[in-house]
Amino acid sequence: MFPFLKKIFFRGDPPRRQRFVFNVEELRSTFKARYHSFKLLLNANNKALEIMADIEQFLPGEHPFGMSFIRASCTALSVNVFRIIQNLNELAPDKYRELYSRFRDIEGSINQILSRRRLPKGDRLVISLREINGEMADETGNKMAGLGEVKNRLQISTPEGFVITALAYQRFFTHNDLQTEIDRLLQSSSAEQIDHLYALSAGIQQLIIRSDIPSDLEQAIMEAYRDLERQVGGGITVSLRSSALAEDSAGTSFAGQYRSELNVSAENIMQAYREVVASKYSLPAMAYRLNKGIRDEDIDMCVGCMVMVDALAGGVIYSRNPLDMRDGSIFINSVWGLPKSVVDGSGASDLFVVSRDNMDVIKKEIGNKEYKFVCYPEEGVCRLDMAGEKASSPSLTDDQAQELARIAMKIEEYYGFPQDIEWGISHDDSIYILQSRPLKQFDTGEKDFEGAKEPLNGGSVIIAGGITASAGVACGPVFIVKRDMDTLQFPEGAVLVTPSPLPRWAALLSRAQAVVTEEGSFAGHLATVAREFNVPALFGIPGATDKLRNGDLITVDAEERKIYKGRVEALLVQSAHRKRFMEGSPVYGILKEVSRYIVPLNLLDPDAHDFKPQKCLTLHDITRFSHEKAVWEMFSFGKEHHFSERASKQLLTDVPMQFWVIDLDDGFREEAKGKHVKLENISSIPMLALWEGMTAIPWRGPPPVNAKGFLSVLHEATTNPALDPSTRSSYAIRNYFMISKNFCSLHSRFGFHFSIVEALVSERAIENYISFQFKGGAADYQRKVRRAFFVGRILEEFGFRIEVKEDALFSRVEGVEEGFMKERLRIIGYLIIHTRQLDMIMLDDASISSQKEKIMNDLYSIIKDSRG
Amino acid sequence: METVRLLLVDDEEDFRTTLASRLKKRGIDVTDVGSGNEAIELTREESFDVAVLDIKMPGMDGIETLRQLKKIAPLVEVILLTGHGSVEAGIEGMRLGAYDYLMKPYNVKDLLLKVEDAYRRKLLEEGQQRA
Repeated sequence: MFPFLKKIFFRGDPPRRQRFVFNVEELRSTFKARYHSFKLLLNANNKALEIMADIEQFLPGEHPFGMSFIRASCTALSVNVFRIIQNLNELAPDKYRELYSRFRDIEGSINQILSRRRLPKGDRLVISLREINGEMADETGNKMAGLGEVKNRLQISTPEGFVITALAYQRFFTHNDLQTEIDRLLQSSSAEQIDHLYALSAGIQQLIIRSDIPSDLEQAIMEAYRDLERQVGGGITVSLRSSALAEDSAGTSFAGQYRSELNVSAENIMQAYREVVASKYSLPAMAYRLNKGIRDEDIDMCVGCMVMVDALAGGVIYSRNPLDMRDGSIFINSVWGLPKSVVDGSGASDLFVVSRDNMDVIKKEIGNKEYKFVCYPEEGVCRLDMAGEKASSPSLTDDQAQELARIAMKIEEYYGFPQDIEWGISHDDSIYILQSRPLKQFDTGEKDFEGAKEPLNGGSVIIAGGITASAGVACGPVFIVKRDMDTLQFPEGAVLVTPSPLPRWAALLSRAQAVVTEEGSFAGHLATVAREFNVPALFGIPGATDKLRNGDLITVDAEERKIYKGRVEALLVQSAHRKRFMEGSPVYGILKEVSRYIVPLNLLDPDAHDFKPQKCLTLHDITRFSHEKAVWEMFSFGKEHHFSERASKQLLTDVPMQFWVIDLDDGFREEAKGKHVKLENISSIPMLALWEGMTAIPWRGPPPVNAKGFLSVLHEATTNPALDPSTRSSYAIRNYFMISKNFCSLHSRFGFHFSIVEALVSERAIENYISFQFKGGAADYQRKVRRAFFVGRILEEFGFRIEVKEDALFSRVEGVEEGFMKERLRIIGYLIIHTRQLDMIMLDDASISSQKEKIMNDLYSIIKDSRG
Repeated sequence: METVRLLLVDDEEDFRTTLASRLKKRGIDVTDVGSGNEAIELTREESFDVAVLDIKMPGMDGIETLRQLKKIAPLVEVILLTGHGSVEAGIEGMRLGAYDYLMKPYNVKDLLLKVEDAYRRKLLEEGQQRA
């Protein structure tokens, strides 16, 4: 051989291999190191499969998850798959290096999806409202872009102002490296728990509020402010409102989850800016993004800064009935002073309904407005109590209501979509539009708002009345929330009962079955969010927090405006199911995209020609391939090294089957001399449990077969070359155990049936697992598939996760304590022996069910025996 | 098993001292420092079995510390800690020879298992080197 060729061929081999040593001590140490690598590989393999199962669980989109879940899963998975490859290449030095390059490709694709970022548009830190139009939403946020459109294209009066742009937000964040720190905080807390979310929200907001505003940004803002002063004359105060990207787009309203700062003086603009930006991480906003699948980094917080209108009266217009698609009337909610209490959904307000056809005021409900919000002369707003006539007098004249209705129709016509408009009337009687956003109408069907139907469902009504804020029926135990503290204990699936529909309760909506409040109208933020999440909400039930008691089971019919005692099945059946709210969201899209490089398994058959590193397209493929090869490498080690002392021993038993055992480490109680090992000498916990199951009940032979089933077997046996034992590598023919004290893998082949069990069972419950694969059979394809399902269903009943691919069954259970795992191993042991050749009867329903009954009886008796 | 000599490196002092005292209670010989530089200095003087490094630290970060540490003491098994999931950083750490990677939040039990396994591997590696 040419010397350089020799070099190439031997470079990868460690010196110990070249020397053909037979020194037992040295071999033992090599073997131990290999076994350690093997164990680490199994560990990583197990962890990787667990993470993949986790990812799969979220793929239907029924449960909320955030980007930090995706990132953490992908990172942990990549690390574990990398460890698998490393350990495999340690077991078989450099034999599987190709896997590294496959891994790099896959990892690169995943990384690219995860690190995709949207760059902010535009080059200005602030933009005057006079220059803004609807196309600039990427720079200014939807809210301010919409207002610019109203002002500049529709020529409808709005306050003067400017927007602090998305670019400015990015400047602020980059300057303080905030995103990195926030991601770290998000990652380190379990965002699923509400109390953790509280602390997290507070922590992040504090972080932002304490951060520096870069001086060029501060300068730009103050310059814009002075321009504003020049435009409208001095002595102004301003309002600062959130105008986040994606806020107020149809379908995701973010209603009321960000902060607005009203009546701010010049010296406090910077602080107010920080606070509005920080409200991106308010608890409701964080919960909302999580539940809607919106990426944290996709939301740039633009802030609108506008001259403060000290309103005489203000409120909200819905350009159509939000609860009835067929009703085109214009709904105006109005209060004295600033529109704040209408927007917050607290306090009483007036309702004016204006007909679209002739502009008549067709309905007027004048509320008893006990307080109003007004501007302090210097700065800030305050709540003033109102008494006497003023409180119960209409806050609008009919003329003003009609004028507002006309404006609403004009804006709606322009956008071609119903609108939700906030407005104020100044002391000189001018109307100002403060914001306008799309209104999502919800169809509750034909509803008689006054009359209540007789209960025909057998339920007993506890409370009737109120306002439908979000339609639907739901049932759950009452949980009363009066203070923030109460929300910490809010149980999943309870009915939220609370005095006032505060926007901050929105964080509870993903956990609440329904909402009942004492006050509020359908115009508030909480109502909007409840509709978005399809959570039934019944508002305006005086005394609800007294009449209902914590823990009472009630059924809320928000449509019929009734609350029933207990669970009223008849009503619940009619009510629609909750939607899969993650579906279609950006975060969901990313999970779907990355999962294409993770979950699909293409390498099914280890005997197939394609079972090689080059064909690994996903992390699952690499995992599967490596596992198969690792087992093979472990097995072949003993042979390659003529390692007689450690090589396989035949198991001495009274069972008429042949088994070989390889001790990997400490699976024998004492050294086994000669070619055999006795069962008494086995110390492997999982092997012993498996063996008990295999031998618990004698096999009765194959079940009676009808003629067709038998023909099917014959046909398959004569035409499928893979079933001919002589074409197999020698190790595949035997039934062999590889064991240590806590580990066992059994490859077995009975006739045409091939199964692999692998189990790690020790006191480390979190590392415990059993995996069981079952494949093959001699019958035709259809029967084999049926059998895979048949066995799978049985395993499912005992807590296994199963997956059937073609005629192969994969099943797993993990992370449970030792006793449970041993029981499961007995079950598998039984199934390996007793389900072979079941495929022959698999098209015969009667014998399927009698077989299943027998098997279940046997299994329960095996478990019982072991517990006895 | 002999006492594991563990080096804990994290800039967050509260976190570090709490973890150190919990590990000490489990019979591990813990030395804790607040920066990569200190860790490197110390590794030149003393020998450790396992090092636990936080990835995100001001100055020399965990990855760089790992790189230098492995040069000085190749047999030390390193476990990386991170609060922020990043596929890139994770794989880079593994390529540089980290033993494993642990994502915050984790429980001390998980960390202990990893430390135990890392230590076992170190003993095996040492055994091989001698052989």
